[in-house]
This record gives sequence, structure tokens and C-alpha cells, in this order.
Amino acid sequence: MPKIKKKGQAGQARNYITRTRAVKKLQLSLPDFRKLCIWKGIYPREPRSRKKVSKSATASTTFYYTKDIQYLLHEPLLQKFRDQKVLEKKISRALGRGDVNDASRLERNAARPDKTGKPRYTLNHVIRERYPTFADALRDLDDCLSMLFLFANLPSTTAVPAKMIARCERLCLEFQHYLIVSNSLRKSFLSIKGIYYQANIQGEDILWLVPYKFNQRVVGDVDFRIMGTFVEFYMTLLGFVNYRLYTSVGLRYPPKFDQLKDDQGAELGAFALEGVNIATNGDVKAITNGEAEHGPDPKVQAEVDKLVQQLRDESDEKAEETEEQAEDAAVEEDKPSDAIDKFEPVAPGGDVLPQPSYSSSDPAQLFSQYTFFLSRETPRQPLEFILRAFGCKRIGWDSVLGEGSFTTDESDPSITHQIVDRPVVQAAVSEEGDGEDNQTAQKIGPNHRYPGRVYVQPQWVWDSINDEEFKSPELYAPGASLPPHLSPFVKPTRGQYDPTIPLEEQQTEGEMIEAQLEEASRMREAEESDVENDMDVASDEDEEDEEDEEEGDFGGFSGEEDEAEGEEDEEESATLQRQRELEAEIAGKSVQAGKKVDAKTKAKLEEKKALERRQRQEAEDLERAKGMLSKKKRKLFEQMQYTNNKKSAEDMKLREKRRKLEKERRA
Amino acid sequence: MAPKITDKKRKAREPESESDDELANGLFDGVLSQSEDEEDYLPSDDDDVDESGSEGSDGSEDEEGEEEDEDDLLSDDIPSDVDGEEEVSKLIRKQGQLKITEPGVDPKPRDDDGEEKNYRVERDANGGERYVYDEIDPVYDSDDSDAQGPVNTIGNIPLSFYDSYPHIGYDINGKKIMRPATGDALQSLLDSIEVPKGWTGLTDVNTGNPLNLTQEELELVRRVQMGLLPNEIEDPYPDTIEYFTSIEEKMPLSSAPEPKRRFLPSKNEAKQVMKLVRAIREGRILPYKPPAEREREEEEQEEVHFDLWQNEEPQAPNPLHIPAPKLPPPGYDLSYNPPEEYLPSKEEREEWENADPEDREKQYLPQKYNALRKVPAWGTLVNERFERCMDLYLAPRVRKNRLNIDPNSLLPKLPSPSELKPFPTVVQTVFRGHEGRVRSVAIDPTGIALATGGDDGTVRVWELLTGRQVWSVKLNSEEPVNAVRWRPAKDSFILAAATGEDVFLMVPAHASVTPALDQTSRDILAVGFGYATNGQQQALPAGKEPPAKWARPGTKLEDEGVLIRITVRSTVKVINWHRRGDHFATVSPTGQRSSVAIHTLSKHLTQIPFRKLSGLAQTAAFHPLRPLFFVATQRTIRCYDLQKLELVKVVQPGAKWISSFDIHPGGDNLIVGSYDKRLLWHDLDLSNRPYKTMRFHGEAIRQVRFHKGGLPLFADASDDGSLQIFHGRVPNDQLENPTIVPVKILKGHKVVSKLGVLDIDWHPKEPWCVSAGADGTARLWM
Repeated sequence: MPKIKKKGQAGQARNYITRTRAVKKLQLSLPDFRKLCIWKGIYPREPRSRKKVSKSATASTTFYYTKDIQYLLHEPLLQKFRDQKVLEKKISRALGRGDVNDASRLERNAARPDKTGKPRYTLNHVIRERYPTFADALRDLDDCLSMLFLFANLPSTTAVPAKMIARCERLCLEFQHYLIVSNSLRKSFLSIKGIYYQANIQGEDILWLVPYKFNQRVVGDVDFRIMGTFVEFYMTLLGFVNYRLYTSVGLRYPPKFDQLKDDQGAELGAFALEGVNIATNGDVKAITNGEAEHGPDPKVQAEVDKLVQQLRDESDEKAEETEEQAEDAAVEEDKPSDAIDKFEPVAPGGDVLPQPSYSSSDPAQLFSQYTFFLSRETPRQPLEFILRAFGCKRIGWDSVLGEGSFTTDESDPSITHQIVDRPVVQAAVSEEGDGEDNQTAQKIGPNHRYPGRVYVQPQWVWDSINDEEFKSPELYAPGASLPPHLSPFVKPTRGQYDPTIPLEEQQTEGEMIEAQLEEASRMREAEESDVENDMDVASDEDEEDEEDEEEGDFGGFSGEEDEAEGEEDEEESATLQRQRELEAEIAGKSVQAGKKVDAKTKAKLEEKKALERRQRQEAEDLERAKGMLSKKKRKLFEQMQYTNNKKSAEDMKLREKRRKLEKERRA
Repeated sequence: MAPKITDKKRKAREPESESDDELANGLFDGVLSQSEDEEDYLPSDDDDVDESGSEGSDGSEDEEGEEEDEDDLLSDDIPSDVDGEEEVSKLIRKQGQLKITEPGVDPKPRDDDGEEKNYRVERDANGGERYVYDEIDPVYDSDDSDAQGPVNTIGNIPLSFYDSYPHIGYDINGKKIMRPATGDALQSLLDSIEVPKGWTGLTDVNTGNPLNLTQEELELVRRVQMGLLPNEIEDPYPDTIEYFTSIEEKMPLSSAPEPKRRFLPSKNEAKQVMKLVRAIREGRILPYKPPAEREREEEEQEEVHFDLWQNEEPQAPNPLHIPAPKLPPPGYDLSYNPPEEYLPSKEEREEWENADPEDREKQYLPQKYNALRKVPAWGTLVNERFERCMDLYLAPRVRKNRLNIDPNSLLPKLPSPSELKPFPTVVQTVFRGHEGRVRSVAIDPTGIALATGGDDGTVRVWELLTGRQVWSVKLNSEEPVNAVRWRPAKDSFILAAATGEDVFLMVPAHASVTPALDQTSRDILAVGFGYATNGQQQALPAGKEPPAKWARPGTKLEDEGVLIRITVRSTVKVINWHRRGDHFATVSPTGQRSSVAIHTLSKHLTQIPFRKLSGLAQTAAFHPLRPLFFVATQRTIRCYDLQKLELVKVVQPGAKWISSFDIHPGGDNLIVGSYDKRLLWHDLDLSNRPYKTMRFHGEAIRQVRFHKGGLPLFADASDDGSLQIFHGRVPNDQLENPTIVPVKILKGHKVVSKLGVLDIDWHPKEPWCVSAGADGTARLWM
């Protein structure tokens, strides 16, 4: 007799462990376990068969890999948690005795672990474990940045201490500074949720969301302890990432932080970056808006430019190489370069191998020639960041927007572009408007324009950087209705609706015919209305006819009927035709109008019918072929078909709406 | 050591008490005992020194060493060895008058010290020397606390022994202690009346006097009784007078030179200081700072900045680890200013608003703002981030393989419809005439005539193409005709029909039937009668009923052309001819043992091949080429060899209830229809399980048929009122699998009381088929 196997001793049952058992095994409290899981990146698994895995009678909901939990057993943090627990017990005991002094001493000691040996942890080793290489860390930076930028904009509460917010803000600003210096911001998108940014750092695309600068409402059930655990981890991560990024472009980390400027709302301007090699000369430069207070000092400007140029050279030589290539194409042949050569096929017939290419326009140079001024109704922070990241050196803004601007004087002659987001005020109001506008130092009429300056709405900046070219400013002039702002992250796929392509190029055959038919009917309507004016008597019947016909049309469109019905349809239309002729005779009207319409639409109708027939045929074939599939494959096929149909239905709806809109616009 | 020391101390003090000189020492002792312990030993050490001095003079080396040890251990005030010894000898010289009595040492040798003696030498009665000691004056501080006047030395004996003597004992010098005078009785009475002050009523044992207590003694007793100190002291706990620190003495207490330690810097202190210095240097001791500042500094310290990935080693990704999926990038509809076609219409907006938040496909509605300054904060951003956090740590991750293929690539490559043609597509002729259901149809081997049998008990023969009824006979008025089948040979025109328990064989009248053909047919049927009468068939034992009775049906039917009537034991449902036309098999599912019967036409013989069948027989058929016989029970189809009379094969279609089956004309394939809606294709060479299972019908399948005339077609008839035509090509190559393609669903029959199409038959050559419906019609499809 074979050995009787006990249930739950082998196989899947040993590979999985429920959460309760995991917590028990680690001898932790549930919140500590949660923390540990979040930091170590342990997540539940879905066993193939829940029944086989669960050992208890009641259904367990969360399963972890046993191996994962075993791996947690050796975690140094575990000991810290336990120490913390012990300390908390001590403190609570002291408080229970009424010994406040003792409690505060214990707490104080807890905050100074290196002096007292009391619990305190760092997450350095966890980060190194989870991201063995820097590239791994970059890959996971999306959530990190979104979270930290959100927390940087949260109001401080008991759950979210002000210190945490300040640290998040600093880290975010430091990260932005890196993006500015390295010009690695690629795309940005104004959505209803906030502003999306995409940067490309060391070949890795990173996408994050920054909320608009408003007080964030917290509604519903949000556990800030969980978010806080994540933020703690992310802060450490971004700290290390920032360090690595700064050193990679030859900057010292952390950058110098000017508390005074920050208090005055300078944000990005509160940091002064120092180069590692320049620091040896004792030469400290604030890279961002160093000349802010004094206006453009050419000497300083030149130095700064040189510095930035130098840093950039170090960071990406390749980019620079292409730059040079663009600049002096004539000399290019002589110089040996380590850039990729372009392979041109000599003889036809070979395969084309794709090569990476650098875009012709360097993102670092897009705004470098211009001086911007931000009106006080525009969002300063995102605009400043984007403009700087795309090479702009001189940005001025109204003093109410905070410290650190290039100029607060709107009338500065060096300004080339002004970003405005206010409606155009009527002329009558404008005369009196001067008095009200007393917030700014200089009083200007609301519609006053400085000559030689381009006035645009903020969307112009976003659309320009996304397309890497200057959009025509007329489209974005103040008060103009803006062109739609499109997401730069959508990759156009074949067969999907694309709002940038004209409708005619993407609609299906059936839709096209339908549209043309409608067009024809509309034309006819117009004609008939002319006729109506002449003959009032026949109008009622005419309308009825039309309705009849249309019904017939739709009947034909709507479904896949059998062939027999199709035939009937034809018959029906023939009889209708006869009927119409008869009625026209009775009315004493010539059948010509109808005939004319027929001549126009007949071809279309026939085309439509042919299409329908073809579709029906295809459907039947499909049905037959499906019959030959095994059950499993058939289900798979139907699923795929379902999603495809759903997508195409959505696209069709969009096309329909657009057609309608276009028609309205034309009318 | 300690007890030893105290021992010596005690010993040393004994002589001290004798000299006034030592009184100061004694005083010190008392004072010092209030101060710290270490100092307590100071004077006693001096004593020790004295002692050691005396011993040193005796030259006992051992004790000296021992003492040195003690000194080193006990106090650091001890002078170093050399100094100490000198000092000691000096002291000895100076304090020569010190009198020391030690137990083991005789005091005599000290006589020459020239000291005054406290005894006299007298002559005793024997003339020997006798030492007479002076009276010890028991002063307060004297150690002799026992000396209190004349003390009786009689010891512990009752005083009554001396009652007869005038004395009551002896004092220490041997003198008699005289009994005090006692008054007479009167005196004692008076005494008792006038109690003197301090009277206790007790008698002093030693003196015999009445024990009177003085005022002071009474006071003392009172105080003791009250729990107070025995003698009244003004302040029992006076402040310590620190003689050695606060009172500056004019003269040093000791003339010893200043020890080195007083003016050399202490190594120990230097050590302590260095310890502190090191701690400060290492930052273990911090100068005081206000807590706020300290906190800020700590925070700065908290942010450690170094390159975490200095020596990064790329690791192979853990195959079990599934990275969290990134959030999808925003689409056009999330824009603050989207193209207008993305904005929801009114209905869509309402639908979205009315839907439960969980049912919504998107958690947002596209919105359009005509200026950036009008864009408000997104209300649920924190919640969305929180959801994401929850997903990251709580959502189980499963790797799902998404098939990124064109769904059409899944579809099999089918032969084009033109290759599959011909097959029946439309109804050509409807044969109306039967009352009630048409149970069975059959097309004759020449393909001209159609025979049907129905619930009205008639068998009708029709012109196939025109649908004209040419012949009809009513076989039974009560029971339906269950089956009609033509004899397959073309040299005759014989129809077999089953109604109730009877099987009729007939030669219908038809235009195509020439008199010669008619005659041959009648002859074929008649041959058996001669055979029967010849008596070849007498094997039956008497009393046992034959399996079937062959007889003439009667003149009326014979005139119609019905020539033979075979009566079996139970209702016949199925007739199937052998390909040569000499045998046919009937199946009557209700007949237990005799459910399957094989009839031989030429001999008018009926045989029952199976004594016992497992399960109810449903239908039976002959193999088209070989001498095999197939019988279908509910679950299985058994194949028997007719020559060897043995079971060859059991086919298990897996259906619950087989309704019918048909054998491919090639003989290697089989189709089975079942009441549980399945159509099964068996490759007999391949396996006894089905090769393909087809489930395209919504209701039970009643009949299945292969086309027998060379076209690769087969059809099934179902209760859902439809026929399904399949293309089923069996390749000549044994290795290839048959291709089965569904080609057509023929609908037309109406479903009457849940019955649809009951029977079908194929035309022998053309791709036409005939179906019998429960709606009383038969239809020809072509």
C-alpha cells in the first residue's frame, strides 16, 4: 500500500502562504508587515487553484509566495521593527506610570540612534536590493515622481508632516534642475488631471504627473499611513537617483539651497548648482537665473553659458557631435567622428536596416534665443520649468509670482515673447481699466501691447515643445479659440481613429457611402424645398415619400439579414419606386425630380447593396470557419473579436461625431 | 583578613586603656568612627605600626610581610616601605614608655624599663613572693567596668548558706563582707509605711541592703521606659566637625614628608581627561545646543548622499518577479482642450453620471476648457494615487500572455466554397399528402421514385422530381409506418415497409416499372414460398414459436402489390438492407431478446443472431463491403463478423443515447447521431473514440446519412427543424485525416410538438436529399 499523502504537505500548498500565516511567521504586527512588503516590493500572488492552496476551511483572500516570506525573514529591518516595538512599549509604560520625563527621554533617545543605539533604519540597502542597477531604478521612477510631486503640493496635516512635504518639494526641484541642465525633458501634456511630463534619462522614458497648483482636496477613504510608507521609500530613492544624476553631469549634490529665497517663493531659483570641478576654483555659480536681480549682465551670462555648455559637453557628447555636424557641415568630411554613419543603399534590392537618428532640432536650443515674460495669471512653475528645460535663459514674471525672475518689469525691451492667459477686454472697459489694475507696479491698459513682442497663450509653449517646432503664434493669440491640445503620448496605430488625419482618409467604405448618400439626400432636400415653394400642394406627400425611402435605407444598413431578405429588400425598393411614380402621376407632378435623384443615388445605392452582399458573404464564411475551430480556440477568437469590435465601435462613434461637427461647421 | 585586623585592634587597645597617653587615641577613634570607613583605619593602622615595631624588634619576619600586605591593601596613606620602617623605629624610641601586654609575652622582662609598678611584692604565709595589686580606681573612663565597690566573691550560691554567719561573703581581697544590720519587725513595719525616696522593695543581692534608686537612676529608668535616650544629651546628632578639611591646623598631624602624589600630576586623572577629550574629538560628546537647532542638524545628517550604484552588478531578473505595470499614458480625451468629437454627448454624460462608479469604463468625463486658467484642480487625484499605491502592494500580479495576433489567423484554412460544391441548397419539391408525421423516406436505387411512410399508416410512392403521388397503400389503420426502405439491387423494384410488428414487402406500381421488371420483382419475392413449402425449414422444435412468420398479406393488399407480410414479435423501427438485396435486418428496440432480426428473402427465413444484447438495440446495419454487421445500442456500436460469428470491435462514441448511425461507403468511417445533440465522426481504423464531435444542433439528432453515390457529403436531421449538410472527404491515403467542412444549414421544416425532421435520404447519384418532417411533408433539396 502506498504511503498516504497528507493534504497541504506538498506541491502548490507549500509554495503559497496566506497573509495571516506570513505575519505570524515574521512575528510582526500587520502594519509593520505592510511596511515591509511595500519597501521590499513583495506583493501577493494569485495561485492557479485557490482550493488546492488554502489549508483552512474558510477562503483566504491573499496569498504570498513562501519563498518571498522566507526571504523577508533575513531582513535587517525586521530587527529594527522589533526594537521599535520594544521602545514603544517602554514609552507607553512610562506614560502609564505618569512619568513624562522618562517617556520624553526615551523618545529623544530614539531620535538619536547613533548616540544611544536605539532603533532607526535606513532604506539604502533595500533600494540597492530592489534596483541592482541604476537603469532599474530609472525604470521604476514613474510612480516615485508622481507621488513625490503630489506630496510636494499637499497641505500639511498630522498625517502628512510639513517636514515630509518640504523634503518632497526639495527633491522634486532638484530633479527638475537636473532635467533643465541635461535638457532631457521631451514631452509635456496639459490634461484635466494635471500636467504630464515625459523625460528621457539614459534612454529610459519616464512619465509623471504633476497636479495643478491648487490645494488638493482629500475626499473619501485615503490611508495616509500607507501613502507615507511609499513616500518614505520614494524619497530615499529619489535622493540617490538625484545624486547619481547630478554627479553624472558633473554637478555637486546636494545643490546649495537658499532658504531666504525659497521663503520668498523662488522655487527653482532657490538652488544654486555647483560643478564638481569648478568648485575647486572656488567658483560657485547659481546656474538658474543667476543674473536675476541685476538683469542680464553680459559677463556673468557668458560665464554661465560657458559653464552650461561645458557641463552639457560632458553629459552627452554625442548630442554635441550632431550639433557640430549641423553647424559646420562642410568641415564634417574631414573630421573623424564617433557618431553613427548613415548607410545609403547603393543598389536597389537590399533590405533596409533601421538606424537611430537624432532629431534635427535640438531641444536645448528651442527657446534659447528668446526672452519670455509671464503674465501674472499664467502658471509660473510649469512654464518656468518647461522653458528652462528647452533652453530658455531669461524668463521674467510679475513680482506677485515670486522671487527669482529675470525681470519684473513688463516693459523691458529685451522681452521677445509674452505669455498671456487673460481674455481680451472690450475697448470701452479698457479706458477705465487702468485704475483697477493697481497690483502691478506699472499701470498698463489691459489691452496694451508692446510692439515687437509675440503674445501667446500658454498652450503655445506646450504644443511647440511637443512638436519641437514653433507653432504659429496667431493661432494662440490671446482671446483666440485655441486649436485642440493633443496628447503627445498616443502612438498612432493602423485602423484606429486619429483626430489629426482628415476624416476621409480613415473612414470605412460603408461609412463613406452612407455619408455620400446622406449628402445626396441633403442636396435633394434642398432642391425639393425649392420645388416646395412652387407647389404647395404636393409637399406633404413628398415628405412622406422621403421618409418611406429613408426607412428603407436604414433597414438595409442596420443588420446582416439573410440573402432572402436582401432580395425582398430589392423588391421592396422596386415597389417603392413604382409607388412613387404612381403618386407623382396622381399629383400631376413630373417624376423628374425623383428620377433625377435616382440617377444620382442609384449608383450609390447599388454600391451599397454590393457592399452589403459582400459583407454578408464574409460573415457567413466566418461563421463556417468558426464552426471548424475547437471550442477553446473559438472562445479565444470570440474574445479577440469582441475587443476589436468594441474598439472599432468606439472609433466609429468618434468618426460619426466628427462628421456631424464638420457638417455643422460647413452649414 | 578583616577579622584578623579587628582582632589585633582589640588586642592593641588593651594596653591603651592603661595609659593616659593613649586616651587621645581612644578619643580619635570615637570621633573617626563617625566619618568614612577608610579613615577609620587610620589610627588603628598606627597602632598596627606600633605593634609591628615591637614585633619587628622581636625579629619575626613573617608577620611583618603580612602587615605590609595589609597596609598596601587598606590604605594609600601608608608610607612606602623604607620610610615606614624608619618611622616605626623612631616612634618606638619616642614612645618607649608604651606599655604593651600581650598574651604570649611575659611582662617581666619589661621591668627594667624603669616604669612605676602597680603592684607590691609581699611575703605570703609560706614565705614566698606574692604580688599585691593596688586597688583599681574605677574612674569613668576606666575599662574595669566591673569594679563597683566591695563585690561579693562567693559565686553563684544561695545566700542562705551564710545565714548563720555574721558575714555574707568575701570581697576580692578575701576580706569578709559583713552583713548589714537589719532592724526589728517594728522598724521594718515603719519602713514599709514611710517609703523612702527611691525605695524599690528589692534587696541588693551583693550587699544585702534594700535596693534604693537615686533620682538620676529613676530618671534613667523613666527615660528607658519612654523610649528616649538613656541620658539626656542636648543634640544627639551634632554636625560633623571636619577636622581635616575645614580646620586648619597650625601643626601638621603627621610629621611625615609630603608624599609624591601630592605634587605629581595624577596619571589616573590624566587618563580620565583623555577619555573625555577623545569622546569630544570623536563627537560622542556634543556641546549643548538648543533642541530646535539640534533637530535641524540631525535632519541634515539624515540625508546621506553617496552613489548607491557605485559598483552596480546587473542581475538576471528573477523569473518569478513580475514588475508592476506602468500606468497607461494619457490619451486625447484627457486633454484640457480635447478635439470636440471626444466630448461626451448629453446621453453619454447622463449615462456616465447615473452609472455606479465601479461600472464606469472610464473614471473621468472628457472636458473642454477654453483657457488654461479655467482648469480647476482634479478632485480625486489623491484618491487615484492612493488606489495606485494599494494596487502596487496589495494587488496580486499575474502574468497574462496577450496574444497579439490577428484573430483571423486562428481560423483554419478551408477549401474554397467552389471546391465544396455541389451540395443541396434550396428546397425543390415539397411532397404533401400524408396526414400526420412523415416517419420515413427512401429514394429507389434508380433515383426516380420516392417512398414515404407516415403516421397515417400509409406507404406512398412519389415521382421524385415532380412531387406527384403515384402509388399509395394503407397498411395499418392504427399504427404508423415506421420505416420504408427500397431493396438496393437495380434489377428489382421492391420496397420494404415496417408498421407495428409487421414488415411488408411490396412491388409498387410506377411508370418506370416495366412489366418485365415487375415480374422479376414478384418472382424474387415468391421464391421463398417454394422454399418454405419444400420443407427445408423444419429445424424448429415443436412448441417453440418461430422468430417470424412469413405469409401472404391477403388478397386485398396483394392486389395493391403488397406481396409478403412478415410478423415479428415486437414493433419494428428500423429496416436496413444488405447491399446484395437478399438479406435485410430489422430492429425493434422493445423486443428484448429478439430485437435484432436478420431476414433472408430468398429462403423466407428469419434469424435472431443475438441471444442477449447489452443494452437496448437502437439500429443495425450491414457493412457496405465486407461481411460485417453493426448493431448500435444506447451507448455503443458493436461490430460483428458474420462469417466467423464473433465480435470484432466496439465503438464508443461517448454519446448518451445513439439515435442512428451510418457507415461511409468506403467502409472505414462511421457517423453517429445522438439524441444528446451530437454528431460524431468515427475513423474505425484510428480509434474507437470519435475523431470529431460536432455540436451544431440545438435539439436531438434523429438521422444521419452518407451520400452513397460517390459525392463526399453527409447530412443529419434534427428536431430543431433543420438539416445540416457537411462536406466530408475521406482521402485515399490512409495517413491523411478526413476533412470535414460544414457547408449548409437547410431550414424549412416546421417543428411540430418538438419534433422536426425525422428522416433523410440521399439521391443515389445526384447531390440531392430528401427529408421527412413532422409537419407532414417530405422535401426534396437540390
